[in-house]
Amino acid sequence: MSRLLRRTVAAASLIFAANPVSQALAHAVCGDRVFPATLIMDDPGVGDELSLPTIQYTPLPAAGGNPSGQIVDYGYEWDKTITKDLGFAINGDYLTQYGAGHNLRGWDNITVTLKDELPCSEVDEFMVSVGVIRDFAGTGSSQLLRAGAIETVSNTAPTLYAGKGLGDLPIGSFRPFAVTGELGYVVSDSQRLSPNQWAYAASLQYSIPYLQQHVKALDMPAFFTRLVPLVEVSFSQPPNGPAIGTISPGVLYEATAWQAGIEAIIPANAATRQIQGTGFLVQFHLFLDDLFPQSIGKPLIDTDLWGQR
Amino acid sequence: MRRSFLLAILAASAFATAEAEAHAFLDHAIPAVGSSVHTAPTEISAWFTQELEPAFSTIEVTDASGMRVDKADSHVDPSDATELHVSLKPLAAGDYRVHWRVLSVDTHRTDGTFPFTVAP
Repeated sequence: MSRLLRRTVAAASLIFAANPVSQALAHAVCGDRVFPATLIMDDPGVGDELSLPTIQYTPLPAAGGNPSGQIVDYGYEWDKTITKDLGFAINGDYLTQYGAGHNLRGWDNITVTLKDELPCSEVDEFMVSVGVIRDFAGTGSSQLLRAGAIETVSNTAPTLYAGKGLGDLPIGSFRPFAVTGELGYVVSDSQRLSPNQWAYAASLQYSIPYLQQHVKALDMPAFFTRLVPLVEVSFSQPPNGPAIGTISPGVLYEATAWQAGIEAIIPANAATRQIQGTGFLVQFHLFLDDLFPQSIGKPLIDTDLWGQR
Repeated sequence: MRRSFLLAILAASAFATAEAEAHAFLDHAIPAVGSSVHTAPTEISAWFTQELEPAFSTIEVTDASGMRVDKADSHVDPSDATELHVSLKPLAAGDYRVHWRVLSVDTHRTDGTFPFTVAP
């Protein structure tokens, strides 16, 4: 569950804008398929990785007598494996807002995710993970808290993650496609102050590395062989109100031990357009398991709870 | 804040350059992935993105019915640890699939497949 969603859940003032699903990020391998680290939602695996930084720019429209403004959000995430299939993640964001009636800056609440990757079906390129995301209210900036810009009540979100590569399609040029999904239910510690709600997201990806490695090697500059164009769609559904969501087309560049990505963040409906304009997000992401395979990049316990690896 | 992030990026990039070993993925192969060749190849050569552990890196090749058509002699090239070879039995026209399973020198295991065709 993204902290941006939690702000929309918590703050009737909707000072901050929405990215409705998790920012827990990791890449995952299942058979021929590598699910990259998506920027808005989480992918269906666990790993040893570091996103630093994730920078999101969101314009705010004039509303409620306030002028327009902007938010710039600097985020980080550290993903650590406990066993080969079980991992946790810690998220944090430093937020700045200018205009829109507020000039604010400070740290958001800390979020911790615990996630377990179930055995994948390599032939089907299909994998599932289950997790729980806990947002710890009170760990962020008091200035943001007073302004109602961050969650004042802790919440917990049981979440299901899934990914399916389409490498079994009969048409070769379609096989690089993959879809991933995420579904969570945010349970507030106090429904009176912050209601429970659903959050869901999906991505559609086209992996040119998959095309080059498993379908047909095309003669193209090396740079393009590492690109993964994708679109992410994410929504949150409050109990009494319209869904808030974004559509995020973009592209990822997959290097040997790191990934860079950029996506536009487009409001998906009128309700979302009332609280934010079209922004963008950029991210630099390190694969710690590749960079430090014998130290911080390996599981704390060299086992698999499912006995699969 | 911005400065600290820039420093973090520079530090991370330096690590990525200096210490990266990473998973070994297929870079390219002969015959090329998904290609159709008119002359039956006598071996498969595959190049990977990382150096391989010879004892744990293999290639197998099967025909459309799943029968092995390689000579089970896959080996890492002595002069280039990113290069893997396997010899082939005489191939008839048809579709074939290459199955590779490798261990990079930093102990990451990866595997994958790709097709090629021998045209009539």
